[in-house]
Amino acid sequence: MASQQHSLSYVGCNFLRQRLVLSTLSGRPVKIRKIRAKEENPGLRDFEASFIRLIDKVTNGSRIEINQTGTTLYYQPGLLYGGVLEHDCSPSRSIGYYLESLLCLAPFMKHPLRIVLRGVTNDQVDPSVDVLKATALPLLKKFGIDGEGFELKITRRGMPPKGGGEVTFACPVRKVLQPIQSTDPGKIKRIRGTAYSVRVSPQIANRIVDSARSILNKFIPDIYIYTDHMKGTSSGKSPGFGLSLVAETTSGTFLGAELASNPQGQGTAVLPEELGLNCAKLLLEEIYRGGCVDSTNQSLVLLLMTLGQQDVSKVLLGPLSPYTIEFLRHLRSFFQIMFKIETKPSYEELQGGEKVLMTCVGIGFSNLSKTIK
Amino acid sequence: MEEKDRKKHHKKHSGPKADKKRKRHLNDLGLGDDEDARKRNPKAFAVQSAVRMARTFHRTQDLKTKKHHIPVVDRTPLEPPPVAVVVVGPPKVGKSTLIKCLIRNFTRQKLIEIRGPVTIVSGKRRRLTIIECGCDINTMIDLAKVADLVLMLIDASFGFEMETFEFLNICQVHGFPKIMGVLTHLDSFKNNKQLKKTKKRLKHRFWTEVYPGAKLFYLSGMVYGEYPKQEIHNLGRFISVMKFRPLTWQTSHPYVLADRMEDLTNPEHVRVNPKCDRKVSIYGYLRGACLKNQSQIHMPGVGDFTVCDVSFLPDPCALPEQQKKRSLNEKDKLIYAPLSGVGGVVYDKDAVYIDLGRSHEEVRPNHELVQSLISTHSTIDVKMASSKVSLFMDSKPLGSEDVENQEFVMPKEEKQIDLKTGRVRRKAVFEEENDNGASDEEEGQDEEMSEDEMDGSEDGDGDDEGESDKEMPGQELDLRSAKRMKREETTEEAAGELPAFADSDDDLEMSSGEEGETDLDESKEEAEDHGDKEESNEKESSDSDSESSSRQISKFAPCELGREDKERRENHNLDHRLGKKVVPTTDSGNCTAEEASESEAEGSSLEEEEEEGLNDDSEAEESDRKGIQSAPEKNVDGVEWAESKVVEDEDGGDDIENLLKEEEEYGEENDFSADTAGALKWKEDLTQKAAEAFLRQQQSAPNLRKLVYGTVAEDADEEDDADEELGGLFHVSRPDKESKQKANALDCSKFPVETPQDWDLDEVMNSIRDCFVTGKWEADKDAAKLLKDDEELYGDFEDLETGAVHKGKPAGSEGEKEDKEGKEPKAEEEEEKNKRMDKKRKLKEMFDAEYDEGDATYFDDLKEEMQKQTQLNRAEFEDQDDESRVQYEGFRPGMYVRIEIENIPCEFVLNFDPHYPIILGGLGNSEGNVGYVQLRLKKHRWYKKILKTRDPIIFSLGWRRFQTIPMYYIEDHNGRHRLLKYSPQHMHCGATFWGPITPQGTGFLAIQSVSGTTPDFRIAATGVVLDLDKSITVVKKLKLTGFPFKIYKNTSFIKGMFNSPLEVAKFEGAAIRTVSGIRGQIKKGLRKPEGAFRATFEDKLLMSDIVFMRTWYPVSIPAFYNPVTSLLKPAGEKDTWTGMKTTGQLRHELGIRLKQKKDSLYKPIVREKKHFNKLHIPKALQKALPFKNKPKNHEKKAKPTKDQWRPAVIREPHEKKISALLTALSTVHSYKIKKAKLNHRQHLKDYLRKKHKEEEEKFKKQKEAKKKLFRILGQKEKKRQKSSLKGSREREK
Repeated sequence: MASQQHSLSYVGCNFLRQRLVLSTLSGRPVKIRKIRAKEENPGLRDFEASFIRLIDKVTNGSRIEINQTGTTLYYQPGLLYGGVLEHDCSPSRSIGYYLESLLCLAPFMKHPLRIVLRGVTNDQVDPSVDVLKATALPLLKKFGIDGEGFELKITRRGMPPKGGGEVTFACPVRKVLQPIQSTDPGKIKRIRGTAYSVRVSPQIANRIVDSARSILNKFIPDIYIYTDHMKGTSSGKSPGFGLSLVAETTSGTFLGAELASNPQGQGTAVLPEELGLNCAKLLLEEIYRGGCVDSTNQSLVLLLMTLGQQDVSKVLLGPLSPYTIEFLRHLRSFFQIMFKIETKPSYEELQGGEKVLMTCVGIGFSNLSKTIK
Repeated sequence: MEEKDRKKHHKKHSGPKADKKRKRHLNDLGLGDDEDARKRNPKAFAVQSAVRMARTFHRTQDLKTKKHHIPVVDRTPLEPPPVAVVVVGPPKVGKSTLIKCLIRNFTRQKLIEIRGPVTIVSGKRRRLTIIECGCDINTMIDLAKVADLVLMLIDASFGFEMETFEFLNICQVHGFPKIMGVLTHLDSFKNNKQLKKTKKRLKHRFWTEVYPGAKLFYLSGMVYGEYPKQEIHNLGRFISVMKFRPLTWQTSHPYVLADRMEDLTNPEHVRVNPKCDRKVSIYGYLRGACLKNQSQIHMPGVGDFTVCDVSFLPDPCALPEQQKKRSLNEKDKLIYAPLSGVGGVVYDKDAVYIDLGRSHEEVRPNHELVQSLISTHSTIDVKMASSKVSLFMDSKPLGSEDVENQEFVMPKEEKQIDLKTGRVRRKAVFEEENDNGASDEEEGQDEEMSEDEMDGSEDGDGDDEGESDKEMPGQELDLRSAKRMKREETTEEAAGELPAFADSDDDLEMSSGEEGETDLDESKEEAEDHGDKEESNEKESSDSDSESSSRQISKFAPCELGREDKERRENHNLDHRLGKKVVPTTDSGNCTAEEASESEAEGSSLEEEEEEGLNDDSEAEESDRKGIQSAPEKNVDGVEWAESKVVEDEDGGDDIENLLKEEEEYGEENDFSADTAGALKWKEDLTQKAAEAFLRQQQSAPNLRKLVYGTVAEDADEEDDADEELGGLFHVSRPDKESKQKANALDCSKFPVETPQDWDLDEVMNSIRDCFVTGKWEADKDAAKLLKDDEELYGDFEDLETGAVHKGKPAGSEGEKEDKEGKEPKAEEEEEKNKRMDKKRKLKEMFDAEYDEGDATYFDDLKEEMQKQTQLNRAEFEDQDDESRVQYEGFRPGMYVRIEIENIPCEFVLNFDPHYPIILGGLGNSEGNVGYVQLRLKKHRWYKKILKTRDPIIFSLGWRRFQTIPMYYIEDHNGRHRLLKYSPQHMHCGATFWGPITPQGTGFLAIQSVSGTTPDFRIAATGVVLDLDKSITVVKKLKLTGFPFKIYKNTSFIKGMFNSPLEVAKFEGAAIRTVSGIRGQIKKGLRKPEGAFRATFEDKLLMSDIVFMRTWYPVSIPAFYNPVTSLLKPAGEKDTWTGMKTTGQLRHELGIRLKQKKDSLYKPIVREKKHFNKLHIPKALQKALPFKNKPKNHEKKAKPTKDQWRPAVIREPHEKKISALLTALSTVHSYKIKKAKLNHRQHLKDYLRKKHKEEEEKFKKQKEAKKKLFRILGQKEKKRQKSSLKGSREREK
């Protein structure tokens, strides 16, 4: 028998998604121990269970073993299968939590993935669906994942705590990815955004827009923020509002920022004006950090670079987030790949903070699931 | 010869030379026209037909595109690995001779025996690895996968053999390497014509197999057992200029054709258990793609392994340095073949001989101790007693007794107060020198005592600063304390960040361990104290000589190693308490890194100071030797603390600060690693070094790489620490809360802003002003500037309407001119020139854009893109040294690598035979896993049998050879995979098996058995991988039958098809059918007979009808995957591997005959006579029928009348006689008449002949008479004419 690759072992539930995604892509089994072992309520939470179920749905032949208390998880990956699926995400995390991992996996399925995700579309913790749509999808396009069947559609919005949103994600299948060289972030030419409000006064969205514009107008005049007020069935089960902003540069880089109102019944009520201001400031922070990819998608771009052909890929990033740093370590343990990391002081004065140039040679990954005729 | 000389010279009438001459001649005559005919005579080439023209154009384009290959990124390294040349052929064809000749041709060396691959330098840019391929099919398969060039030897006197064709087919499946045929044994042909014919025949056959025009070489005869020199030389030339097209499998996988193998297993393990798994190192050139450490590999013939270590070695057969000469220097003609005994190592079956040559004396260990051990004749103890070792350059040599005494000896620190500066200085003092005669244990106790004291009283006893705090007066104290405060701040968040030694020593740990024990119950507070202490301690102690010297000694006195572990663990315990204090707050990686660098800088500045002090120390060292032991103990302890802490912190693995610490540590390790190695040499220019290091750290930005990855070496002990067990029984639980918090933190990819900047401030806002299009642009992109540039270039134009001439501004504006005056004229010129060039370039670009636009095709663009990528790939890591390059890229192809592999079966080493190639094939991601593999398969047209489903068969797929059980299927029109019992004869079919996951599009071949030889063609099937999956979709047909037991009109009750109502429920609505073709549907299950159901049909059934339902049943595929482990077989039996046998084989071997079912035997066909009943038409129907169809009532025939049946006549004997006579007479008469008739006819004939004759005669006579008559008449006439003529003449007269 072929000796199964020895499994990787980790402790704790943090970075669970990374580990499962990388395990699926690399084919190496993974074992995670001591998941909240010392807490009052040990083991996996419902959103993690839901995530594992989702992974099980998109793969074929994977083996998942969880012990009785849920503190130990063993995952032996199968092959990515895809197809037309539906998944009810747990409302304790937003759809973004699930979608981020799906974005990593979707291009390598056997059949093109078309999945309907239900749950919370926007919350304060995870990147929302709006931002992912505006930033992650253009990023995937750079790697050659493009075409008609590539879309992310928000059919319903759902706010925490009850959710009720619905999102359709479809992604075509690729055999290999192109290497990228994006070292020039370009200059921001326009800012777009969506101010959404569900089950609250439609006027709130306009108030958000006005306050956000008041700050951003100092930098650039080309700003358009859509107001998206959902009614009836498409407005989910809980009230809430928020804003997501995306800055587009001349070289096709998208930097996003977002802010959502406190969930109903938790925390104090947020003034829409304040939210708009804060969100605009967050966007400015993001611009300050800069790079060719915004901070949420750093790990995605690094993964896709890793999975490229055996060619050099380069990307310029802002400061690395802790999540990304851990992701880099995981990439090394799963794919034996190391990035060349160079810090680039900003060339000129007024261009924000320090940048990091990441260079790697792809591992020559090819989609083993795809059928050839 | 003379005749030849006399032969006349023939002028060339055709060819390029003749053309040239003709042209020249024409030119001389003035007729020559350089223009082509197309221009000279345009009418002749005018378009006659648009359609025809379109067609020709189409055709030329087709031909052009046909030549294109899909452009691929060229990933060949700059210094490629040697070309793998595989020499193949049936036995006794001259393979070894050819290899020997080739080697001799290239290197002028003669190899006696060739084992394994031989690497030689064949030219300035090329090396060759030549390997011989035996006739074992395993070897053939393996080598076909790694070959770049195949030299296929063919015995011309015999013709092609099966091996040749088999090898060609193997090559076709696994990517087609370049193949060159070589014909040998041509001297056996005596007849020249025969030879020519054979050559031609073989050549054409070879062309059909390879490609038309494939190179076939002829080696005519042998001279003294070798091939002719000139022919070998030519062959060598061909080989060394050959170009290769990259093969997909080879370029996407790393692989090594091993040329050396060493067993690294601990001999003790082998002694204890001779069958234990081995650790082996394998050497060879890396080819194909980049190899990463820890990746999976497959050794064909052995199995799958994980690489446990890779390192690259200097090239044993390096290409020559750049030289201008065309040919190679004699000394550059290298050869490397360790298995054949060329590289200085000779492998025998059970021993390895190393040829040390002249270097023997040089290599000899120059350590006195070791040397004396080598040439020992007495026991080691005796020798040890007499041998001496000098530890330091100018110290007195140590004897064994010294060593024994020194079990606990370590450099002790001795405090001295410098009189000038008032600083406390630490001195490394060795115990034996202040030998106080006290026993070790007592000393130990003393130490502990003193330590405890100090712990209680003061935190920084062994510490410079602590000491100075206490003893120094006034100003200095202020300064230092301030400094210290500052440091504490920084260290609070990055505790214990400071460097420790890379490898701590036993003694140190032990002593600290002891302390640890005493400290176990101490409070947290104290732990914090330790933290402070340790930092400062470390700084100096890292430089301290005491440390290094103690290490030296400890090597000879490795006492109480066992205890060490325990103690270290206890240390960990403490560390964790310490760890609690450390609260990581991170904003971003960069920010913390910066902070850290600050603190680091400070630290290093401090260090500098201390080092200066230490310098003095060393000078004073010799004089003072009275040590107080407690002080160094303390000091050393601190080091240990920091050390263990760092190790521990990694457990958490995810906080940035810790890694920062490592980073610093790493930096300092580097500084000191060299120093610690040499005894005290490092002290020589410490200040300078420290200054340098300081500057370096100041300059270099915080190294993110260290932050992310840490240092590579440290990763390994991470896991070791995780499960240490106390005495193998108790697990030490360590409360590492900090790491746990991290481990179970919220999993979120967002990067929240910790300290938002105040975006209302103008300065802050300005900091990102240029990120927007409204901000300032770079010089080369600024629109205004670009416009200006263009103005300069294209500024001149004339307005035709007004006639005004616009001039662009002169290149240098006035303002500029003023500036320029100061400058040198040369610079001006330069500038001018540049501008001119710029302008020219722009104009050219414009021109090109206008006229060359259409030329660039999609193909060209793609090619250019690939070219760019190639350049980028090459340039990216070019300037880095190999060590760091290897980390990013992996090991490049072309490197000579040493690969360590563990857990190799012992048979591999025991039965090692260098004649069989060892290949390490790298596996991609998840290629080490198993699953269901779907193939498109076709039985080979030369294989004589068809293949049976469920018969085990050996596949060669990817790197692997393995036995598995495939199932053959065919895809129906609706996409269903229907199982086949046998593979089709001349058609593709699908096959599924359980085996290793291999990328789609990989070719494979199948053979029934790899053992023994058969005269027949062995390759059973070939094909390609289509799909990989973890579940299967192959189905076979299943017909369920049932019988009606109750029949109503169209409804019947059927039983016997199912066993339970549940089964029926599952099949409700399914279509069923009777054998006679009546269709129906299952309606509902019945309660009473289990499994019966109600069904409706389109017609009424008969009780005799059989009802059946057609269903599809999924087939399970046996999970049988058995790698062919042919290399593990004993030498000489390596080609006898047999795996699972087919049932047929087993039956044959065991003599079990197949028991056939009775009803499947053939019986003689007996046809019963059919009786058909008379057609009976009912009367009523008869009546209704038209007359035509009515059965006619034929009247019964009347009885024959009496005259119809008369009695026979019986003659009397007399009458009989009469009638007989009459008959006889009549016979005679008739005969006579017949005769007479004949006679008459004869007569008549004669008469007619006679008459004819007479008549002829008569006619003749008449003719003659007529002739006579006419003659007379003619004469008369003549006469008459004559006379008449005469008369007239007379008349005239």
